[in-house]
Amino acid sequence: MIKAKINNIDVQVKKGSTILDAAKLINVHIPTLCKHPDLHATAGCGICIVKIKGTNKMMRSCCTPLDEGMDIITHDQELQQTRKTVIELILSNHPNDCLQCGRNNNCELQKLAGDFGIREFPFKQHLRNLPEDGSTGTISLVPEKCILCGRCVQVCQDLQDVWALSFLERGLNTRISAAGDINLADSPCIKCGQCSAHCPTGAIVEFDQTHQVWQSLYNPDKYCVVQIAPAVRVAIGEAFGFSEGANLTGKLYSALRMLGFKAVFDTTFGADLTIVEEASEFVERFVHKKGALPLITSCCPSWVDYMERFYPDMIEYFSTAKSPHEMVGVLSKTYYAQKNKIDPAKIQMISVMPCTAKKYEVSRSEQMFASGYQDIDIVLTTRELARMIKQAGIDFANLPDESADHILGDYTGAGVIFGATGGVMEAALRTAYHYVTNKKLAKLEFNNVRGLEGVKETEIDIEGTIVKIAVAHGIGNVEYVLKKVEKAIAEKTELPYHFIEVMACPGGCVGGGGQPYGVTDKLRIKRAQGLYQEDADTKIRSSHENPFVCKLYAEFLGKPLGEKSHKLLHTRYTPKPMYKK
Amino acid sequence: MNKLTKDSLNKIKQENSKPRKNWIKVGMSTCGIAAGADVVLETLKQEVKKRNLDVSVGQCGCAGKCYAEPLVEVCIDGVPQVIYGNIDKKSAIEIIERHVTNKQLLNDHIYNVKGR
Amino acid sequence: MSGKNDKKIILVCDTDGKQREADYADTIISVLAEEKLDDQVQVVRVAELGIYGQGVIARILPENITYKLNDEAMINQIVSEVIKKNKTLRDAVLEADPKQLKIVLRNCGIIDPEKIDDYIGQDGYQALAKVIFDSSPQDVIEQLKISGLRGRGGGGFPTATKWNFARSTEADQKYIICNADEGDPGAYMDRSVLEGDPHSVIEGMIIGGFAIGADKGYFYIRAEYPLAIERVQKAIDQAREYGLLGENILGSNFSFDLDIRLGAGAFVCGEETALIASIEGKRGCPTPRPPYPSISGLWKNPTVINNVETLANIAVILLKGAKWFSGIGSATAKGTKVFALTGKVKNSGLIEVPMGITLREIVYEIGGGVFEDKKIKAVQTGGPSGGVIPKEFLDTPVDYENLQKLGSIMGSGGMIVLDEDDCMVDIAKFYLRFCVDESCGKCAPCRIGGFQMLNYLKAISRGKATQDDLVKLENICNAVKKASLCGLGQTAPNPILSTIKYYREEYNQHINDRRCAAKKCADLLRFVISKEKCVSCGMCSRACPVNAIPKNENKEYIINQEQCIKCGKCFDTCKFDAVIRE
Repeated sequence: MIKAKINNIDVQVKKGSTILDAAKLINVHIPTLCKHPDLHATAGCGICIVKIKGTNKMMRSCCTPLDEGMDIITHDQELQQTRKTVIELILSNHPNDCLQCGRNNNCELQKLAGDFGIREFPFKQHLRNLPEDGSTGTISLVPEKCILCGRCVQVCQDLQDVWALSFLERGLNTRISAAGDINLADSPCIKCGQCSAHCPTGAIVEFDQTHQVWQSLYNPDKYCVVQIAPAVRVAIGEAFGFSEGANLTGKLYSALRMLGFKAVFDTTFGADLTIVEEASEFVERFVHKKGALPLITSCCPSWVDYMERFYPDMIEYFSTAKSPHEMVGVLSKTYYAQKNKIDPAKIQMISVMPCTAKKYEVSRSEQMFASGYQDIDIVLTTRELARMIKQAGIDFANLPDESADHILGDYTGAGVIFGATGGVMEAALRTAYHYVTNKKLAKLEFNNVRGLEGVKETEIDIEGTIVKIAVAHGIGNVEYVLKKVEKAIAEKTELPYHFIEVMACPGGCVGGGGQPYGVTDKLRIKRAQGLYQEDADTKIRSSHENPFVCKLYAEFLGKPLGEKSHKLLHTRYTPKPMYKK
Repeated sequence: MNKLTKDSLNKIKQENSKPRKNWIKVGMSTCGIAAGADVVLETLKQEVKKRNLDVSVGQCGCAGKCYAEPLVEVCIDGVPQVIYGNIDKKSAIEIIERHVTNKQLLNDHIYNVKGR
Repeated sequence: MSGKNDKKIILVCDTDGKQREADYADTIISVLAEEKLDDQVQVVRVAELGIYGQGVIARILPENITYKLNDEAMINQIVSEVIKKNKTLRDAVLEADPKQLKIVLRNCGIIDPEKIDDYIGQDGYQALAKVIFDSSPQDVIEQLKISGLRGRGGGGFPTATKWNFARSTEADQKYIICNADEGDPGAYMDRSVLEGDPHSVIEGMIIGGFAIGADKGYFYIRAEYPLAIERVQKAIDQAREYGLLGENILGSNFSFDLDIRLGAGAFVCGEETALIASIEGKRGCPTPRPPYPSISGLWKNPTVINNVETLANIAVILLKGAKWFSGIGSATAKGTKVFALTGKVKNSGLIEVPMGITLREIVYEIGGGVFEDKKIKAVQTGGPSGGVIPKEFLDTPVDYENLQKLGSIMGSGGMIVLDEDDCMVDIAKFYLRFCVDESCGKCAPCRIGGFQMLNYLKAISRGKATQDDLVKLENICNAVKKASLCGLGQTAPNPILSTIKYYREEYNQHINDRRCAAKKCADLLRFVISKEKCVSCGMCSRACPVNAIPKNENKEYIINQEQCIKCGKCFDTCKFDAVIRE
């Protein structure tokens, strides 16, 4: 332990703790624009400076470890003045068009300018006049607003191991861009949106499609239906002053109906369906030896995109089951349309997702048009929906709880936990266990696959047969798992895993790139807890027990992995180049 | 080439630290070359060869007097050892004719005298 | 000279470089002729004898005695007494006082840098042999500690301490890097050492490897130094062939090898952490310290980064002894420092002087004084990270602390003499522009602050700034100095702060009176043609690139102020001083 003083208050911290973290412990807030709890310090902004008594230098508290006996001053006249000047300098190189900005009211720079009472711009404005890059249709790069904190680059390179984003040029011309100064769409970008989730300003934001949704809602010829993903319900409350992780499913349904949606579905129903298909697939491959092992989950579109570019040799291991919202999408334009005698051409299916990559997924291959139309028309992120609710003047906090529409809105506890890392695995195991043994699990919780450890490895005993599994979240953690698999396959040794779950975003969908800003591990855990709590509170907690899923098979689909299932609920993967020419 | 030992290193040292006579060195660092030292070096080599003189012409690094580049150091038996500066092709030939052959120092080009 | 040929030589040198009516050399020749001695004595006009400001002097060879030639009487006396009678005129002897001391440059200009045998002939690799066989790594560091050697790259950090950090950090792999990313405008000390004596640096690196426990080293040389790269590569190859690099050096069980990595032209890559990033193949941006490279550097291994000049000192110190070295220099700075002396000085070039020498000695006794005998205004040291030292402080002994006290720094060795024609706003602008161009862009204070500071300097030099702007400029200077991540940003305001400190009046003149006394800031100047002096030759009209001076045969020419772009071509062209800057 290190003993030191900050502002004359004694502190005791673990060796290696930074001054910034140590100050937090004694409730001293040192402002910073570049340090994010998920990332190591880039030391770019120069605002978190502090003084160490006995030296005449100012040090960056984000990256300076507290040493034994240090005597730190975090606030005095000179520090305040220096910080203010640095903020003013940053503002002199920033558009300051807060009113038109995607981060208005939610921007770390705006907040800091407010805190410091900036009332005038003393220095001449110099803008960089850089073009936006919205080429992916999922996230927009607005380099003009970038303060070069470096979080996005670190997220893309270190956390996600994708290396799509990079700094280009130098000095005042330094800017973020896809490496090689190409369009992001031509780069290895997997659209996970983690860059946007970590950006302190409006320099990377979700590709806004609220306008399109409003147009559809106002169009009398359209029949707008909507679905919400599991992770949305535990995060949307952050935009309306609810406590972290509050589960607001019922209010969400109400709000969506008030917005004008004719039917409200829940992606969680699709999750149950995905599990039935995917668990069946696992049993086929694992028990009946039909198909390659390990089976790898494929609900995450960023992960699918990553695999198609970075690990095309692994395509055969992927589950061909579509992601839950795609299943709900195709069913809304087939089963639901037929049942309710609605022309599927008129149906506008909107998905509300915690995710930016889902915007890409809806047109990623021809299987996404299995209904004969684009199965999902528009994807909104949680952030976009929150804005729409506010625009519509809906008093979200005081809404009554409502229910979703049958049957595409009826789900089990297994479907809900899809939104957290390990959740898909846990849900699949509940059902797979039943398929293999025809018995009910005594204990439904698989605690070994829960939590935020980067790679979770464990073994499940299914009546004497050991199933080895791995759960990875954050693409940076995937390499460890896949290299082990590749090695075993190349050396023809025993497989390290039979079943692998991957989610591209740290924490899984609760930490998705389209979720409300300010995510930290603490918040990821809170949101996940919201989901696990709902699971625990639900009567039916295994997907195969969802009576409406059973009904769907009986009435429409036939059986899992059957012909109709294959046509509507499964997809294919193709190797793709890392860079488009 | 055999790897050196402490002894063979010392042997090379002995062989190379003996004072030598009758040589010309041209400062061939970037500063010298920029001022035309390469032409001077080539000229000196040609002139020595043409006249069949027993004088070795070599190169060295920058002696510091960059304002007077190209610098040429001349050590000829019977003439003080001097460093000439601001040497061009013409004065290089003069060094050979006057200094090396006639053992007379050149006017206006001496920038340092290293004794005898 | 051989004994047989004891012919006397009289070297005549004008140490002021002035135009004189009488040519003393001719006078000596005619006096000698009168005495019929002209066959026996050669009179040579020389350019320089290392003595300045003493009028015309004569040095008699072979005795090597120098006299000051005050008048013709002195010439007669020299001929009659010294030449004819071989006497020495004791009272008139002028002692040459060599101010330079060459330790780092000991072999530069002496050996052929492409011949390892030449280097070995000058005691090369003797220190290495001594260290490997007779010392422990701890001894080497102890010797360096006693020597007092401090980093010559600018920071002045004690080399022994740096080495000791790396030595005492446990690791399987350690590195030593030679920082040859020299980039200060006008500085070329490192280039000259690498081009003139590469082995001295290599030997320093091998010894460093031995001392810290590294078996691998890198030269980080900027790609703009092709000749240095070529010579270092040749030197590495030769050393490897001799077994001075590679496995089992000199038959010992110590192994060490070297490679070259090229810098791609970014000034900031001279900063330790950016240099490491560059070698690792990353964007050359500084990263926060700690961790210091000597604890966690190249690929997270302990890494010592030393400047070329520092490394060139190592072998000599270990061979001649730490005490010898610490006997040279000032109280806090030992040994010598190499400077690239440039600017308005007569003898611009590379000099090596003992620490503690005064700036006056450097400028006048080595540099030969100010160009065209103008008045000195200041000396700039430390390049873009340094500041100006006004003429009032010329007697300051040069070392790290003294220069810092004056608001400048020792830096890597750039030293630029400024005279009365230099405008301090212009000087500050020049250096700041360099830093703005070279900012890596990573940290906001340097990236944006530099740009904004430059804006204010431009406004001042155009006469378009207010006193309020000057306050804002100083405000940014302080923020950038305090809040920048690396040395480049932290020191970028120095040229501004130091010029404001000493020459605030000059800034005020630009701002309040819109006047540049040094007549440097073009926007504050007007070029006019004096009616009285103009001879209507038309040269200015032909020189003007924008036809602002129409032909006006037989009448005085007039500059059209609307059209004039203030390039100064007419001013330079006019032979009759008729073009006036005002």
